[in-house]
Amino acid sequence: MEEVKCYMPQTLAEALQIRKDTGAQPLAGGSDLMVANSRGAGIVPGFKKPILIISNLPELKGIRQLEDGTVEIGALSTSWEIHTSPVTHPLLKDAASRMGAIALRNSATIGGNIGNASPKGDMPQPLILLDAEVVLQSVDGERRMKVDDFIIKTKVTAIRDDELITKVVIPPQKFTHIFFRKIGMRRSNAISKLTLSAAANIQDGVVVDFRASSGAAGPKVERSREVESLLIGHKVAELPDLKGAFLDAWCSDVIAPHAMPEYRRNATRRMLEYFIDSLVAGHPEGRVE
Amino acid sequence: MYNDVRFTLNGQPMVYTGNPLRRLLDVLREDYGLTGSKEGCGEGECGACSIIKNGKLVTPCIIPVGSIQGAELLTIEGIRDTEKGKCIIEAYAEGGAVQCGFCIPGMVMATYVLLNENPDPTEDEIRLGISGNLCRCTGYDLIVESIHLAAQKGAALWKK
Ligand SMILES: Cc1cc2nc3c(=O)[nH]c(=O)nc-3n(C[C@H](O)[C@H](O)[C@H](O)COP(=O)(O)OP(=O)(O)OC[C@H]3O[C@@H](n4cnc5c(N)ncnc54)[C@H](O)[C@@H]3O)c2cc1C
Ligand code: FES
Ligand code: FES
Repeated sequence: MEEVKCYMPQTLAEALQIRKDTGAQPLAGGSDLMVANSRGAGIVPGFKKPILIISNLPELKGIRQLEDGTVEIGALSTSWEIHTSPVTHPLLKDAASRMGAIALRNSATIGGNIGNASPKGDMPQPLILLDAEVVLQSVDGERRMKVDDFIIKTKVTAIRDDELITKVVIPPQKFTHIFFRKIGMRRSNAISKLTLSAAANIQDGVVVDFRASSGAAGPKVERSREVESLLIGHKVAELPDLKGAFLDAWCSDVIAPHAMPEYRRNATRRMLEYFIDSLVAGHPEGRVE
Repeated sequence: MYNDVRFTLNGQPMVYTGNPLRRLLDVLREDYGLTGSKEGCGEGECGACSIIKNGKLVTPCIIPVGSIQGAELLTIEGIRDTEKGKCIIEAYAEGGAVQCGFCIPGMVMATYVLLNENPDPTEDEIRLGISGNLCRCTGYDLIVESIHLAAQKGAALWKK
């Protein structure tokens, strides 16, 4: 196999120019690309395209909170950095902290997790619930897109050949209750079989906001604002009557199942029902365990 | 012609001039003769190759050497003669943690990071600390006990 070219830019400007001129594929942590192209011990991985190593670009690092509460996460932020940051949302922390095991969490980046667009990728699921956006930069400028729109389906995103993901932006959130589950085969190094995040904002007994998103349950993360609206604006006391219709709609419309559809549907239904029942039972504000 | 990759390896400044897409594990083992890092899976799953990059545990089987520009690397060869390294290795020997030994360099690296960050870990924290390191021989219990031993015996070292 012919060796592909490899570029090692030191600044974002340089990287964007190379991206425009060559379309080389970005490599951040490498934890998806190195495994996907591995040819075994002692052999250079068999990359099909030229590679652009972006691992050390300073412009893509760091996590910061703006004055209005918006959180900006540099594309190279690792799962560990996201998990330990004082400003990242707890649902995103949960997802990041359950990825792989310790060493993987020091390599895996948020840009790579989104760019890889695996339906089993853990971070897009809370990001989509949180209405997060990706910032895409090219030599010609910058555009922003909801993560939900950026990830089109399994392994397909809306990125152009001259762009890099530079950061992920999470708008300020107001939830009184949150819920996260990851189901895997073991506690560490377990690719998700199914994940769920749910969040609600309850004010004076009224459901002001309600959101849910499912990972590993279809060709991409599933979230339906239409189904969520079945609960929003209603009183908590009405939830027992509404929940059947909500759960039916979520589990039939929202889950486009691939493997073990019954299991995925039932498990999702039971997790969501548990969250809703906890709200009805007057669970104190915070995390529903 | 490739760009140079400059980094520090066990305290020594290095300049690597070969293909930046080679796996860091191959470069450590083949170019620098550091064969303490073992290849179990080659996919980041087993931890046998674990080393420390800028103070953090990583698996060099899934890292291209081109991405470690400027990094400080520590391998088992770089810690085995230090006070902390000796403390762990002696505790492993005393606690009977080693059978075939293949997973052990990676386990020692994970232990080193764990005790540096948490000098007095609970059993759960120890198990979490080595949760990315697979061992096919021991059943883990003696490794966990040996890590306890290293924490106790080396208390002064880790708490500094
Ligand atoms: C042992 C092991 C366990 C794992 N466990 C999990 C797990 O539990 N959960 C999980 O979600 N994933 C898991 N993964 C998958 C992987 O680690 C994650 O998807 C990780 O977030 C990928 O990030 P990276 O930086 O390493 O990606 P890379 O391999 O560098 O890149 C992945 C893709 O994203 C693109 N890309 C990267 N950065 C950018 C950017 N800034 N702009 C544009 N495109 C970009 C690349 O071109 C490539 O297509 C695991 C992998 C391994 C090896
Ligand atoms: S050989 Fe690197 S993790 Fe298994
Ligand atoms: S001692 Fe043999 S693999 Fe752990």
